[in-house]
Amino acid sequence: MRTEQVDVAVVGGGPAGLAAALSAKESGAQHVLLIERGDTLGGILNQCIHDGFGTKLMGEALTGPEYARIFIDRLTDIGVSIKLDTMVLDISPERELVICSHDGLIRVKAGAIVLCTGCRERTRGAIRIPGTRPAGVFTAGVVQEYMNIRNLSVARKAVILGSGDIGLIMARRLTLEGVKVECVAEILPYPSGLARNIVQCLEDFGIPLHLSTTVVDIHGNDRVEGVTLAQIGPRGGVVRGTKSYVECDTLLLSVGLIPENELAKKAGIELSPVTAGPIVDDQFQTSIPGIFCGGNALQVHDLVDYASMESEKAGRSASTFADDGRLPSPIIKVLPGQGIRYVVPQEVSGNESVDFSMRVKSPETDRYIVFKRGEQVIRRMRQIELAPAAMIRMRVRSDRFQGSSDPLTVEVAD
Amino acid sequence: MNKGEIVCTVCPTSCLVHAKWDEEKLISIDRAQCKLAWEYISDEIFDPKRVVTTTVPTDAGRNPLVSVKTADPVPKDLVLDVMDVLAGVTAKVPVNAGDVVVANVLGTGISVVATSNSD
Repeated sequence: MRTEQVDVAVVGGGPAGLAAALSAKESGAQHVLLIERGDTLGGILNQCIHDGFGTKLMGEALTGPEYARIFIDRLTDIGVSIKLDTMVLDISPERELVICSHDGLIRVKAGAIVLCTGCRERTRGAIRIPGTRPAGVFTAGVVQEYMNIRNLSVARKAVILGSGDIGLIMARRLTLEGVKVECVAEILPYPSGLARNIVQCLEDFGIPLHLSTTVVDIHGNDRVEGVTLAQIGPRGGVVRGTKSYVECDTLLLSVGLIPENELAKKAGIELSPVTAGPIVDDQFQTSIPGIFCGGNALQVHDLVDYASMESEKAGRSASTFADDGRLPSPIIKVLPGQGIRYVVPQEVSGNESVDFSMRVKSPETDRYIVFKRGEQVIRRMRQIELAPAAMIRMRVRSDRFQGSSDPLTVEVAD
Repeated sequence: MNKGEIVCTVCPTSCLVHAKWDEEKLISIDRAQCKLAWEYISDEIFDPKRVVTTTVPTDAGRNPLVSVKTADPVPKDLVLDVMDVLAGVTAKVPVNAGDVVVANVLGTGISVVATSNSD
């Protein structure tokens, strides 16, 4: 097997990988290699033809392909090596990758690695919907690719289960292409997608959103003929007398995303049971020195801008590590408290300001997000609307960490 | 005077804005987190607009479709009409992002432009 030496290897050419490779190179790493499994860079952005990307990072609303193009052009100009159609088969804790490309198997020895492997959609199997197994049950992202990339017609009459952003976006997309979207059903008592998508994708087109409702049966043998919907009570059971049959030929599932971390597991990286991504410090370094992670592999984002921003940081850290191996050590743990589902990064050095990402457990109005050390409040920020669907970003300046290495907790408070 | 709660869709923060307006103009807004909300909320009450994003087929090339958008928001009532116009359009390759695919769609003065490349 041939061996290649690189300073920074980035796994995955989606939005996170593009940002990580670009910033690693800009921070001084000589040889940056970007490895992508598919035949184009940009990842999921290529099929996200709707607009709204870049409002936080670039101050304008771009479509997915336009957002990706900005990074791809800069990356090509700056001289990042790119390998397309290339699969990473293995990663060792010593930062050796085995990759399979058109040039055969290659061993890549990397000074640092950034994992930007993205996420996968949860499927019917993951949520165990009873019923027959006909054609016509798709995840929303698959339908998005069929329609927007491959020019395939997927449905005439559809029901969408799950009010995640991709499901909402596809409700509009199907409607624009002449498909009748009967309704969106959401098992939770509140929407899983951003409020702007509820407005732009459902309300604009009069598509009903049924909360506390799910699909309890799928009908049809060769092709979906209909689904049975039912209301779900507060304890998770079907409310008696609420079952209704909806005729349709397609069921779209938008029921969550799972970070893709098979390679991280192979390398022995410690994963968080809550985010399903690696546990990282404020350099976005995982439990294995020199291996970093950003984007949806780390935590599922609702905005690509934030996936890019955190991966830029991961790329910079990787460049520093590859150069002299010296990064500040994490000494302060950051723990989710009352009302907070998770917070990333999970530990920080206290030497630098940190942009934390977090999600709340349930919708709240007019509350504060509070960082505490014991009973001492070190930072608080008012939040008008809090929803599990909307990731919160909050900067804590380095001077707020000073004076102690005791753990911090983050909570929702009055 | 009218009042209502309108979700601002300028950015993903999706502020739920409390607005007051009369027959002619927006009078006040509350609970918006930035200044961009004023123009959006005013438009949303008196002249709602949307950017239309979709695809059109290419006449040849590696990809069967190229993605397109209206270069500016069009009146909301015209969204489905824009789709009807585009149903009859094929893009000639090579197409680059920014190329005009349909000029002055439905007499709005707004062009439909490509958002990706196809060769």
